[in-house]
Amino acid sequence: MARFKHFITSNLTATLIAFVLSFLNIASASTTLGAAPDTGLKFWHWEDQGVLLELKQRLPDQTRGFFEARGFDQVSANKAGTACIFQTMLRNTGSADSGRVDIDLTQWQVSSGDSKTPMLLREDWNRIWKESPAQLAEPSRLAFEWSLLPTKQEFDPGDYNWGMTSYGLPPGSRFDLELNWLRIGEHHHGRIENIECPDDIHPEPPSAL
Amino acid sequence: MNMSVIRTLLIVFSLMLPAVVHAYAEGVTLTEMPTGTVAPDFTLSDTDGNMHTLSDYHGKVVIVNFWTTWCPPCREEMPAMQRSWEIIQNENMVMLGINLGEDEDTIFEFTASYPVDFPLLMDLDSSVTTNWPVRGLPTTYIVDPEGNIAYRAIGGRAWDAGELLDRLRVLHRP
Repeated sequence: MARFKHFITSNLTATLIAFVLSFLNIASASTTLGAAPDTGLKFWHWEDQGVLLELKQRLPDQTRGFFEARGFDQVSANKAGTACIFQTMLRNTGSADSGRVDIDLTQWQVSSGDSKTPMLLREDWNRIWKESPAQLAEPSRLAFEWSLLPTKQEFDPGDYNWGMTSYGLPPGSRFDLELNWLRIGEHHHGRIENIECPDDIHPEPPSAL
Repeated sequence: MNMSVIRTLLIVFSLMLPAVVHAYAEGVTLTEMPTGTVAPDFTLSDTDGNMHTLSDYHGKVVIVNFWTTWCPPCREEMPAMQRSWEIIQNENMVMLGINLGEDEDTIFEFTASYPVDFPLLMDLDSSVTTNWPVRGLPTTYIVDPEGNIAYRAIGGRAWDAGELLDRLRVLHRP
């Protein structure tokens, strides 16, 4: 009998610990920094309280090429390419009953050195393109707008969205990103530290053997 | 079986449970829209030159998917949409993919790698997309037989999942 009690107690304890650990797995903030094995481009995978943000570096050349293929002139493509662009994914990873997450990127802040600035958002870029002497054709402007992560969006559990985000810093800069969001109207915030804007490098293709 | 093995398995299972639940929930969730959310009507050409008007599909369940060829999750969910279309096309349902701002050649090139049978419509000036509450891509709406938006999905989904399709089939019932 004593052995049976010991078995039940030890297994219950182990299971309880496991459940607590698995809950913490969702509930605590975590940032994973890694690099794509084929390109070496860095990524930041951050998750906290049912919100997941993934930032992947985009080389300025990648972004220049992407927009030149969509009708951008070289000057405009360079302006976009060197604005510290990341491929970004946002997801509501909360459970089915955890409620809606409201994201407003105007409430996010970029801290670099002593300065705190907002991100460069769709609305900012629309203004930049309007003021630019090289007037972008409408399909090009449209492609740019829709390739950026939306400024405001609501995410129900399971929803996610993908897009580029831009931080307006020179290539190679480092910054901290302060994130803010609402879940069922309640304010939450987080911080990702020491994010690196991609360098403006031009890797050569491997030479033929 | 050794008790320590059972205990280890219990722990491993408990640790994996949230991930399994999340993975499952991500693929099939649909958000209910407020009752009476009227789907904005549109008329667009598909890549074969055929015109499609949403209101012509009154009485059917219509899946309206907004996408582009350069959007990774749009590409990722396209095979599941095609598999779904193969299941539902004889169930009084319609599937329309609305491409944002790309021309026939670009879409044609895309379908060489991602072959689909359902109509791919072209919203060249984004006027239809901006008339719908679309913020990012992909976004999919389910229009009920009365022309109201019943559900919304932001991001890709496992459109061929039985559980998800059953939710669409229910829309046919009074």
